[in-house]
Amino acid sequence: MTAIDKPILALTMGDPAGIGPEITARAVVDREVFEVARPIVVGDASILEDAIRFSGLQAEVRTIARPEDAQFQFGVIEVLDLGLMDVSRLQLGQVQAEAGAAAFGYIRKAIELAMSGAVDAVVTAPINKESLKAAAVPYIGHTEMFADLTGAKDEMTMFSILNVKIFFLTRHVSLAEACKLVTKERVLAGIEKSLNALRQLGYDNPHLAVAGLNPHAGEHGLFGTEEVEGVTPAVREAQARGWHVTGPVPADSVFHMARMGRFDAVLSLYHDQGHIAAKVMDFERTVSVTLGLPILRTSVDHGTAFDIAGKGIASPVSMIEAVKVGAQYAKAGVKLT
Amino acid sequence: MSNTSQKPTVAMTMGDPAGIGPEICALAALSPAVTDRVNTFVIGDAKRMEEAVSILAEAGRFHARPTVRSIQEPGDATYQPGVIEVLNLGNVPSGLPWGELSAAAGQCAYDYIDKAVALAVEHTIDAICTAPLNKEAWKLAGVPYPGHTEALAALSGSPSSAMMLVNRGLRVVHVTTHVSLKEAIALATKDRVLGRIRLTATSLERFGVAKPRIAVAGLNPHAGEGGLFGDEEQTEIIPAVEAAQAEGINASGPWPPDSIYARAASGEFDVVIAMYHDQGHIAIKMLGFDTGINVTLGLPILRTSVDHGTAFDIAGKGVAREKSMVEAMLVAADFLAAR
Repeated sequence: MTAIDKPILALTMGDPAGIGPEITARAVVDREVFEVARPIVVGDASILEDAIRFSGLQAEVRTIARPEDAQFQFGVIEVLDLGLMDVSRLQLGQVQAEAGAAAFGYIRKAIELAMSGAVDAVVTAPINKESLKAAAVPYIGHTEMFADLTGAKDEMTMFSILNVKIFFLTRHVSLAEACKLVTKERVLAGIEKSLNALRQLGYDNPHLAVAGLNPHAGEHGLFGTEEVEGVTPAVREAQARGWHVTGPVPADSVFHMARMGRFDAVLSLYHDQGHIAAKVMDFERTVSVTLGLPILRTSVDHGTAFDIAGKGIASPVSMIEAVKVGAQYAKAGVKLT
Repeated sequence: MSNTSQKPTVAMTMGDPAGIGPEICALAALSPAVTDRVNTFVIGDAKRMEEAVSILAEAGRFHARPTVRSIQEPGDATYQPGVIEVLNLGNVPSGLPWGELSAAAGQCAYDYIDKAVALAVEHTIDAICTAPLNKEAWKLAGVPYPGHTEALAALSGSPSSAMMLVNRGLRVVHVTTHVSLKEAIALATKDRVLGRIRLTATSLERFGVAKPRIAVAGLNPHAGEGGLFGDEEQTEIIPAVEAAQAEGINASGPWPPDSIYARAASGEFDVVIAMYHDQGHIAIKMLGFDTGINVTLGLPILRTSVDHGTAFDIAGKGVAREKSMVEAMLVAADFLAAR
C-alpha cells in the first residue's frame, strides 16, 4: 500500500496515568500498523517520551503543530502536543483531576480533527471514569462525548472480534431493566440499525442472528415469554421485509455459530451476553466501533489498568487491533451515519 | 506406561443402551489419553458393547478391532490394552433397536447408575464417569428421579447437589439454570449465592483443590458499577461474598461478568459462580463445543459426565464422537491426581 492510500488516524493517548500512553506508543511503532495506517497521536509529548523510556522502546517522539506537518516515518511517533499535562506532575496509576481533564482534551481535539476532515478516523485509548469525575468533565464516557460533540443522536456500539460483529440492544442498564426493554418494536429497530451498519461495512446481504434472552431462547415460553412476545414477532417482521435474519437463537450457541461462519453478526439483547462471548473468544482482539456518528471511531475494550500502568508490561494487542479495524473501515470510506 | 495398580479406577456407566453411550464408552475406554492415566471398565451390558464395537469396526473407527471382555466383579478386571472390560449386568433385551425410546432401555441405564454408586460409595472404584441417559425413557420406566443428578444424590444419601461445568481451564457453578432471566434475577439472593459458594468450596476441597479460589460473578453490567445499573450486587451478592469470607472461604467478587470468565479460564481462579444460565454457558461453550463436561458437586463420590444427550438420531451408526466422554474421564483423572 502506498502512503497516500493509508488512512490518517488520530490516536488519543487516553488517561495519562493509565496504560494508554504506553500502548499508544507501542501501537504507533508496530510494523503492521505502519503497513495499513498513518497514525498521529493526540496527547502530550513529555508523557509519551516517558512511556517510551520505561517501556524500553526504540522510538523517537516528534512534536507537530498540525496534522499536515506529519511525515509518517516508521519508528517516529508524531504527536499533536496539547500541553495539557506535564510528566513532572503525573502520578502513574492514580486518579487525578488534571489527568482526567487532559484525557478529555485529547478526545475533544481528535473529534475536531475528524469533523474537519483532517483525519479519517479516531482511535481511542482508555480513559478513567473517576478521573473524569474528579475533573468535573460532564460526560461519563467516550460514547457520550462523541455523541454530544459530533451532534449525533442515535449512536450505537458494535464489537468487531475476529470474523464476528456484535451489536447490542441495550448496554449500560441493569439486567432487570434490559429484560423490560426486549419488546418487538425495540428489537425490530435494533435489527434494522444493525443491518444498516453491516451494509455500510460492505456486506451485500448480511445475515444477522438475534440472540434469545432466556435459557435455550425460552424453549417456546417454558422459561420466559420475551421470545414469544417480543423477539420472534420482530424477527418474523424483519423476514417479511426480506431481510436475512435468524432468531431467536439460544445465547449460549449463537456466538459460537457466528464464529464458525453461520452468521455475519449477532444482535445481543443485553450487555454481558455479547461482552462475555467476545472476551472469551479473544480477550485482546475485541474492538469497539461507535456507529451512528458523522465520524469513524474505534476503541480498545479494556480499561486504564492503573495497577500495571508505567511498568512497561501492558499489552498493545487491543490498541493495535483497534487501529487496524479503524484503518480498514476508514479506507473503505465507511461513514456509519 | 505406569503400573496399572497405581492408577485410580474410573468406571464408565454405559448410559441409555439405545443411544450413543455404548459407542462413546468403547472409544473412550480405548483412548490412550484415558488409559495412560486411569484404569477403566464399563458398567453395562457386554453383548450391547460387542454390538457397538462391531458397528464402530465396520465404520472404520479402529486400527485393530478391540476385544470385549465380560467381567462379573470389578476385581476381575485386568486393564489390558485393546480390551474393553464390561462389568456385565446383562440387562439389555436382545434386538433392542438403536435410536428408539423405550422403558426397557431407561431401566437399564438406571441399573448402571445404581451399581456404579454402590461401588463408589464402598470405594471399590475411585470415580464414576457417566454416558448420557434419556430422561423420557426414565419416565417410561418409572424411575423415580428426573435425571442423573437427582438419582446420584438420592442413591448416595446427599442432601444437596449441584452441577459444575468444566471446559478446558474454566469451571462454572450456577446459582440458577432453567428459569427465565427475570426469575433468575429474583433468585439471585444472598442465601442462594452463599449456599452455592459453600457447596462449591466443600466439594472442590473434597476433590483435592485446597482453598479453592472462588470468583463470584456480578449480575449486572460491570457488576452494577456501585449501584449505577442495578442494586442486586449491594443487597445480595456482596453480603453473600462477605459471609463466605467470614467463614474462611477464599471467595471474592462480585466481579464484572464480562471479564471474569476469561480471567478464570486463564488460571486466575479455580471456579466462577454464575448468576444465571447464559452467563456461565456462553463462556463455557465459547471455549469449545465438544470439550465441555460436567462434575456433580455435593456428593460423597466423584462423578463426571458428558454434557450432551443420547443423540438418538446418530446412535448405532458408528459416527458418534467420544471427545466429551474422553474429556470427562480426564477431568476425573485430574481431580484424582490432585488428591
